[in-house]
Amino acid sequence: MSESVVHLLKSTAISHAMVNSIWLWPLCETLHFIGLALLIGSAGLLDLRLMGFLRRVPLAAAMQLRPWAALGFVINLVTGTLFFIGAPGQYIDSPVWWGKLAFLAVAMINIAVFETRQGRRLLMLADGADTPLGCKLAGAVSITSWFAVMYLGRMLPFIGKAF
Amino acid sequence: MMEYLAALEGSAFSTWLRESSSIWAYPTVLTLHTVGLAVVVGANWAIDLRVLGLARAIPLDALASTFRIMWIGFWVNAVSGVMLFAADPTTKGTTRLFMGKLVLIAAAVTVMIATKRLLYGRAARAGGATRSAKALAVASLVLWVSAIAAGRLMAYI
Repeated sequence: MSESVVHLLKSTAISHAMVNSIWLWPLCETLHFIGLALLIGSAGLLDLRLMGFLRRVPLAAAMQLRPWAALGFVINLVTGTLFFIGAPGQYIDSPVWWGKLAFLAVAMINIAVFETRQGRRLLMLADGADTPLGCKLAGAVSITSWFAVMYLGRMLPFIGKAF
Repeated sequence: MMEYLAALEGSAFSTWLRESSSIWAYPTVLTLHTVGLAVVVGANWAIDLRVLGLARAIPLDALASTFRIMWIGFWVNAVSGVMLFAADPTTKGTTRLFMGKLVLIAAAVTVMIATKRLLYGRAARAGGATRSAKALAVASLVLWVSAIAAGRLMAYI
């Protein structure tokens, strides 16, 4: 199964371009790092506020950082997908990559739970107020999973033998 | 100069960093360098975007403490960066791209300090996001993007 997926992806024009162009891969890597800084900067600040730090930032205002976190995430989803299409085998065979995807899933589920259960209620919270426990938990899970995603991503070439 | 770089490269510490198969040698230092980058650049960009008028509901005053977060990221990267240099000094020490990266970082940090002074220093005006603050914010965005690009391209030389 995975072998045929790898074979199929490697036969695409995108895959050929990623591997054969000298500048495409480094360009995507640079964009991946830019997206990472944007995501960690904006999501990280919101997470800290959700956890009850930086209380002078009104929660409703901190929530305005979400589109910037989303932009960083989309940049990295697109460039990350291009890496995968470029060299699918080295990712599929790497346990570290699957770990990275697992933490990505945790981050996504956390966002879904947070947005449906807590998001709107928090906007009513008074400026400078402490946050409820569920909210602190959402912030802590978010910041932990994003740093884990980053850690495992950077460790890809060093753990296991897929690269 | 080259002799000093070669001596450093031959030192036990450099050799360990470069050749050890331990996950705690080169891989961990490199990963810390990425984490530190995300912290210093990410927090700095959050301020820059706010100064440029995005997420306006956030009071600028409330973001003063993010500079402490930036300095933590900066020092993580200063230390991990020196270690990455020590692992490979004869190549890095003679590469224009590396010199360019250092200049870009020096400029970005200078802009970061100037931004803090302008927004929170004694002469800071209420409201904060003046034209000069906006110019610094644009410079900060551009300089960090360039420094990241230079750093990433180091892997290809």
